[in-house]
Amino acid sequence: MISKRIANIKDFMNPMAPGWQQQQVEVVKMMPTPMAMQPTAYIRNSRAGMPHGETGQIEVSSVHDGETLAVNLSWEGVSPKGGDFPDAIAVAFPLKGNPVLIMMGSKTDPIHILHWKAGKGVKSMVAHGIGLSEKGPEFRIASEAVEDGNRWRVVISRILGTGGGIAPVTPGVDTKIGFALWSGANDERAGLKAFSIDWIPFVVEA
Amino acid sequence: MSKRQVAMVMDLNKCIGCHTCSIACKTLWTRREGMKHMWWNTVNTQPGEGTPHNYEQMGGGFRNGEAQKGIRPTEEDFGVAWDFNHDDVFHGGDEDAFLQANYGEWNNGENWKGPNWDEDIGAGEFPNSYYFYLPRICNHCTKPACLEACPRKAIEKRDEDGIVLINEDRCSGYRFCQEACPYKKIYFNEILGKSQKCIFCFPRIDEGVATACSRQCPGRVRFLGYHDDPEGPIYKLVHEYKVALPLHSEYGTDPNVFYVPPISPVKYDDEGNPTDEHRIPLEYLESLFGPRVKEVLDKIESERKRVAAGEESELMDLLISRKWLDMFGPFSKHPRDVVSAEPVRIVDPAQLSGANPVQIMDMGDKS
Repeated sequence: MISKRIANIKDFMNPMAPGWQQQQVEVVKMMPTPMAMQPTAYIRNSRAGMPHGETGQIEVSSVHDGETLAVNLSWEGVSPKGGDFPDAIAVAFPLKGNPVLIMMGSKTDPIHILHWKAGKGVKSMVAHGIGLSEKGPEFRIASEAVEDGNRWRVVISRILGTGGGIAPVTPGVDTKIGFALWSGANDERAGLKAFSIDWIPFVVEA
Repeated sequence: MSKRQVAMVMDLNKCIGCHTCSIACKTLWTRREGMKHMWWNTVNTQPGEGTPHNYEQMGGGFRNGEAQKGIRPTEEDFGVAWDFNHDDVFHGGDEDAFLQANYGEWNNGENWKGPNWDEDIGAGEFPNSYYFYLPRICNHCTKPACLEACPRKAIEKRDEDGIVLINEDRCSGYRFCQEACPYKKIYFNEILGKSQKCIFCFPRIDEGVATACSRQCPGRVRFLGYHDDPEGPIYKLVHEYKVALPLHSEYGTDPNVFYVPPISPVKYDDEGNPTDEHRIPLEYLESLFGPRVKEVLDKIESERKRVAAGEESELMDLLISRKWLDMFGPFSKHPRDVVSAEPVRIVDPAQLSGANPVQIMDMGDKS
């Protein structure tokens, strides 16, 4: 996946902005997290036989202007209002070392997550393993979301760079990106989600 | 399992359904944002739906050691708090205005089931109608289904006394705990996005002061102490005299709140003559407190007879709370005697918008 350099990121903060139509869209296959890896017996037992993470793919494109990175995500499945849990999506980058995405990183090799929830915006989180995510470093992040019929279109942005506890994402330096997706209507939260199976190589154009 | 375990015994023969316990708890702990529907302590009429309504059919707990699926109670299930037209009555200028509850749309019946809607209905036909009161708090279970269910490890069982607490810093509002708790004693704060529940008044327990619900009870219903303290009321009532039983032990969580089951008046026959049969059916009590109910009721009745015959009974002295402070084991201090230099401060994150933390409780209060 390539994040193309563009002139001004402000033209790309809205997911419906015309500039996005010139960008290459990559289809990312998603799969449900394995039931055996749900962290508690209650979750495994109570959700046995109930499918989760059924959104099979998301569409992703990305741009940056040398200062800010924007990732445009879209997928089918806008949940009706009034449920207990929101639709949500997360963009993950390795923070340090060589974390395993399916394990949500580890104590030594954590993952930096930008976690967007419908109606609540985006939060910075750091995960040190399954069930071990916590508030992440504060830095400049933003999100804009549009309900396009039954399709979510969400732009999540962050400043580029490294240090201060954020995942390094820098022009000209290869990294990796991963995704997770929750369907609120299906009571999906925590580890009940779809995920992008493994890291996807991510290049921020120099 | 914790090193020690605090527990509570409630003697249902003495509960008069006055709700002072519920008010004591509400006043102390659940007056903040998002807590309007929360009654960490409830008193319901039995037989009845309880609160949340029909909680006994909401699943959770363990069967043969396996975690069972449960459902999340909604605010409506708990019983939405009614608003009253106090302003109209007291300040509206209409001398004919009278007090009315607003349950949802004004009096159209929506949300009419408050948390205690079926109070004093009970069961049976006159003259054999019957009911009793059942106060409930979090059971601070030895095997807490809520703790097991939480993927965030946000629920802790204190090693020193087994009190089960939700760490709100870790809670992400996933609400698996609400599903898993078979007693449905966990509430969800929509404003904070956190689960909340009875904390067994741990800041008081830490200072040797009984829980607010216990100290404030006019009926002297509640006993407190540690299971392993042979001089304390819990050991005596649960383990020595064996007259206090857990509620729905079949839920598999080993609850640490126990009940002395109620002895009811006798039934009348068709001619209006008293019979030997208790008015509350034994099978009903056994459905709540298990197969030992008859043994307990027989024990209490035989002790009552002994006392009536002029004999002494430690069990009866304990149950009638001849000495009030003996009810609280090591937690018999008066709150005013433990007021520390630093009052307990509770910060309500919902009100933290750069302002100073809100102080809502001072242990110097006389509760």
